[in-house]
Amino acid sequence: MLAFLLGKLLRGLALLAGVTLVTFLLVHAIPGSPWNNNLNLAQAAPGAGLDAAGQRELNRRFGLDLPVWRQFTRYLIGDVEPEGGFFCGVLCGNLGPSLRQRGRTVLAILFEPPEGQSGWESRFGYSLRLVLLGAVLTTGLGLPLGVLGAARANSALGRALSAGLAALVSIPNFVLGLLVIMVFASWLKLINVLPDWDDARQWLIPALVLAVMPLASLARVTRAAVLNILNEDYIRTARAKGLTRARVLWVHVLRNALAPILAFLGPALIEMFTGLLIVENLFAFPGFGREYWRAVLALDYPLILGVTLLYAAGFVLVTTLLEAAGELLDPRLRPPPAHREAP
Amino acid sequence: MTFFPWKRALRSKRAWFSALTILGLGLVAGLAPWLAPHDPFRLNPSQASRPPMWVRTALSAGQPEYPLGTDRYGRDVLSRLLYGTRTAFCLALTAVPLAAALGTLAGLVAGYAGGRLAAALMALIDLLQTLPSLMFLVICVLIMRGQLAPTWFNGLLTLVVGFAAVNWTSLARLIRVAVLRLKTQLFVEAARSVGASAGFILLRHILPNVLHLSLAWIINNIPAVILLEAVLGYIGVGVTTAVDGDEFLVISWGGLFYAGRSALSRNPFMLILPAAGLLLLSLSFILLADFLNGLSRPEPD
Repeated sequence: MLAFLLGKLLRGLALLAGVTLVTFLLVHAIPGSPWNNNLNLAQAAPGAGLDAAGQRELNRRFGLDLPVWRQFTRYLIGDVEPEGGFFCGVLCGNLGPSLRQRGRTVLAILFEPPEGQSGWESRFGYSLRLVLLGAVLTTGLGLPLGVLGAARANSALGRALSAGLAALVSIPNFVLGLLVIMVFASWLKLINVLPDWDDARQWLIPALVLAVMPLASLARVTRAAVLNILNEDYIRTARAKGLTRARVLWVHVLRNALAPILAFLGPALIEMFTGLLIVENLFAFPGFGREYWRAVLALDYPLILGVTLLYAAGFVLVTTLLEAAGELLDPRLRPPPAHREAP
Repeated sequence: MTFFPWKRALRSKRAWFSALTILGLGLVAGLAPWLAPHDPFRLNPSQASRPPMWVRTALSAGQPEYPLGTDRYGRDVLSRLLYGTRTAFCLALTAVPLAAALGTLAGLVAGYAGGRLAAALMALIDLLQTLPSLMFLVICVLIMRGQLAPTWFNGLLTLVVGFAAVNWTSLARLIRVAVLRLKTQLFVEAARSVGASAGFILLRHILPNVLHLSLAWIINNIPAVILLEAVLGYIGVGVTTAVDGDEFLVISWGGLFYAGRSALSRNPFMLILPAAGLLLLSLSFILLADFLNGLSRPEPD
């Protein structure tokens, strides 16, 4: 058991290291410089950005004048400060300074709550709460809807449900989010256009917009899995020996359908992480998704990298946990013991 | 095509709906240059921000020349909408098959080769699946802006490369598992025993047995790429205009939707029509895929 978990952990760390390298190289392949990329500044007064000497000085300060491989080791392992003294990089959990938000580190931007408040009030805390709420909605609504759709597959209700779910899967969340804002905020005045995030009820709408696509796809997967199992012989046997429809459905069928559903849950949750970037932007939600866009527009390399790494870490965590859960539940999924490849 | 259950397809309302919608939109996409009343790229500041032709506001009046009005640069909305259809189809018909070809190839190699090569391929697949795809695509848009010629082609290429680069992995996994199962079967062993080369076995014996997986994957992933194109058009326009003022030169429904956001009160059709187009096209492909997937199940009475 310990070896099993340790193996999963090592694999996750190796993946994260790979993602760090790839993202680092990609981010540094973006043309342009963070120092003269401010659209508003350039529009207000052409040439109002930093002069060449100032840019050189800043490049030297943040190590942007080094060759790329040196910048990478600087980011990953650490480097000597210009004033002397050593700082440690990502390996010590230091994601580096933000280039554009002066004097703040990436860690502080993402994880530090406002003065005197709990960790849930940080950028990361806000996003995490939204995702958790979305995950609860996804499983809480998606699973029953899927089972219902399968149990009533040939009735009018079942057909309407399956068409409705297909329609929900085909609406991108930015379209849905904007429609929701128009209808609920501008016309019906049920929510504020600029919501007050201390009011728990205001969270429901963005969480629902975030959850709709994963919810609908989870329901579709559940429906297909349950339909497949309903055709099995042992289900007919269970019904024939006198068990009630409900008992067969919720115990015999659902338990056997759980494996494909669980396998799908990981991608659905990841889908939701991605949706955060869009939904936070639409609802002016103070999480790290909005911070990401700010970083992209300013070419704030360490902040872009930091958020991407945070995402990748979340992916690795979610998939590893679900994989482990799946393998513990169903021994058939475990990889076979290592054997030598036949020549 | 005698093996295809035409009778069942003709009876299914959903199959009719999706086939007709896809055909109709496909026709619009193919005939866009002839249907569009104006050049969708041409800026015309004197005609900027016109409402649809049947609307007359205090600021400006609609003109029959521009049936659905113009955007803030004076480009005809109807023409852009028609060309947006073209982009969606273009992408669905290039990016998805490209990703499918990559995925099939990688899956065949990873499944049949074994050893270090397969391990390296699987590590690459794991890595790409861990990469946050939307962020990867945003970085792609940022890297490729301003490179090559600044044409619509560049934008489309970004979308195709960005999609294909990460999405082949799920198919590669599917194919690999199928190949692992096939390669222990008797007909493969027989071929190997008479001295057939690995390439020949893969091409003539294994590929025909996994091709149905690739085809199903293509149909199932077309809606995904259409939605992705919309998201990218949406953020692509937002990101590139903000970063260096140049426009993301690909006419996509997502981009139209983005532009329509600020024109909501003047011309809500700039928002509604691209959204409706997206919904229709993606829904038709999903229903088509559902119909094809459901063929293996007995028909409900």
